[in-house]
Amino acid sequence: MKIEVLYPELCNLYGDLANAEYLARSSGAELVRTGLRDTPRFLTEDVALVYMGGTTERGQNIVRDVFAPHLDGLVKRTDNGGVTLVTGNALEIFGEYIENEDGSREAMLNLFPIHAQRHMTARYNSLYLGRLEDMDIVGFKSQFGHSYGMNGDGLFTTVRGAGLNPDVKAEGLRRNNLMLTYLLGPLAVLNPPFAKYLLGLMGVAEPALAFEDAAMDVYTHRLEQFSQPERGFIYH
Amino acid sequence: MGKLKFYAALWAAKLSRPALKLTGHNGTNFPGELALKICPDFLRYVGKPEHVIAVTGTNGKTTVSNLLCDILEMDGKRVLNNRFGSNISSGIATSLVAGVGLFNRPRYHAAVLEIDERSSKRIYPYIKPDYLVLTNLFRDSIMRNAHPHYIADFLTASIPPETKLVVNADDLIACSVAPDNPRVCFGIRKMDTDVTECINLINDNRICPRCNGDLKYEYLRYHHIGRAYCPQCGFRAPEYDVEGRDVDLENMTMTIADREGSGQYRLLSDGVFNIYNMVTAAALLRQLGMSHEKIAGYMDRTHIVETRYNVEPVGQVELVMQMAKEKNALACSRAFDYVSHQPGRKELFLMMNCLGDEKHWSENVCWLYDCDFEFLNSDEIFHIVATGPRARDYRLRLLLAGVPAERIDCQEDEFAATELLRFEPGSRVYMFYGTDSLALAYKVREKVKALGEEAAK
Repeated sequence: MKIEVLYPELCNLYGDLANAEYLARSSGAELVRTGLRDTPRFLTEDVALVYMGGTTERGQNIVRDVFAPHLDGLVKRTDNGGVTLVTGNALEIFGEYIENEDGSREAMLNLFPIHAQRHMTARYNSLYLGRLEDMDIVGFKSQFGHSYGMNGDGLFTTVRGAGLNPDVKAEGLRRNNLMLTYLLGPLAVLNPPFAKYLLGLMGVAEPALAFEDAAMDVYTHRLEQFSQPERGFIYH
Repeated sequence: MGKLKFYAALWAAKLSRPALKLTGHNGTNFPGELALKICPDFLRYVGKPEHVIAVTGTNGKTTVSNLLCDILEMDGKRVLNNRFGSNISSGIATSLVAGVGLFNRPRYHAAVLEIDERSSKRIYPYIKPDYLVLTNLFRDSIMRNAHPHYIADFLTASIPPETKLVVNADDLIACSVAPDNPRVCFGIRKMDTDVTECINLINDNRICPRCNGDLKYEYLRYHHIGRAYCPQCGFRAPEYDVEGRDVDLENMTMTIADREGSGQYRLLSDGVFNIYNMVTAAALLRQLGMSHEKIAGYMDRTHIVETRYNVEPVGQVELVMQMAKEKNALACSRAFDYVSHQPGRKELFLMMNCLGDEKHWSENVCWLYDCDFEFLNSDEIFHIVATGPRARDYRLRLLLAGVPAERIDCQEDEFAATELLRFEPGSRVYMFYGTDSLALAYKVREKVKALGEEAAK
């Protein structure tokens, strides 16, 4: 079993790479890293999970250019049920375009009918509490904008915090097992139920997590804290 | 009208100073806040010393500012600084209020101002430094600073075109700032401890700025700090104008050289960060025309600020207070790396929690997974106590870093956590704290000292 991390030299902000490492450690999967000059392994090999983390604004454009020739391959993989996780602002790479504060637009890969509005002077920082099926999801957002144009369901249903933008409950995007979320950092480590869910989709029978007790202790404590009505969700 | 408003602001700010002193509130930014409230353009009008030196960057700006200030004062200059205030616009305004007379005449030869990178836009339109010293740019707070390339762009948009940069050539992100400005580049030649492959989780400069190819390093110190080149397109890091070389950690010496000469310097610390701080300060002082002999002599009489690193005997152990900024993966990684390389058996007390965040929301812990906790997986580190609001997160991160479970204790209450320390005779106890937990750390230290003394009986 393989987990492929796409472009770790660029898509590595905020501890994102811990997701792939944790899932590999919990499943015994081989972790393979695909650089900007390499051809993604999932195009020709059996890869249980493809992962892409958040990057810089310049990095978004570089990844867009490098990944564009492989987009059809990702669509094919997704239509065949392949599991892919995209976190942080890498989500925006798969939308139609990113609009800057000055009105200029940067075309993106156009896989989802959304566009991002980027505000480099107004960073949005918040806690997040949401749901996926019967799971509670906790996480963090720290981003320069939001995405607009989606009317359907997202990956998560927001309980507290912002969805794809502060006006919608849908957080993230989903097409079959291609999952994209603005939540950043070690999402799988902080959400053991979600990590197990991913391992299940990857084909791991009876998934067990590395240091599951300690991870559950962290998760339970954070979930309790994020559920407190008086807990501030937006960072000022 | 503008001038009138300015003088009202200046006098009100000046009057507030004795009032604050009388009420025991000196050292705050209140005078500057007041001045900026009355006159938002206050920084434009307030008198500045003849020479203004700004110091910015993620790490080392306080140490470099203090070194510069101390050395210039030893050299007989009257130097205005903001070492007792903050490094944002109100702190700078507070310092400048103190730096002029009632009629706005500057009373100092020079100003050495430590400036927060994010405050650039509110400061540089009004204060145009002759020199801007840029120590380095690393990941810092996720919430405020996003990533170092963002800060580099932020600085580029703010720095006046006439300001000369004194910039770290071993940091390509810092080098990318204000590319059209005049500059002096400094760096440190290959050291015995250097590597060529990055072992840190954070390396924010892995690709060539020209062709996006994989960067290689002639030598690499940590993270992205080292001498980079691109084997694909031939890109190379800038040459050094001022360089540290022949760093001898055993005899605690190094040479600092430039085109006009060189000098032998005594190292103020064996930490590479502080060696960079020395070279940085020397590079600026050379611009001011000071000889190597003078700089080395003055530097020899300075020391690194105590709050960052402090050792004292307690019972049968030594207690070390080790600053490691909370929410800053890089600062903690550097501190972990440094401590892990210290000889002898060690017991760690981790309390670099952001207590302010805990009051209002919940600390974003993503930085823990950017931070090299792997350095703490060493047999010589026989025990780690994780404490504070994020104690559980520390425990999980330590486990994932490979630290055996039996070496980790976890207790949320910092004072109760001290009871878990083992005080193994002959070992060192390192307390890791951040700026936000500084006051609490010093209270907890008293309990650690009492327990350490008790354990020795």
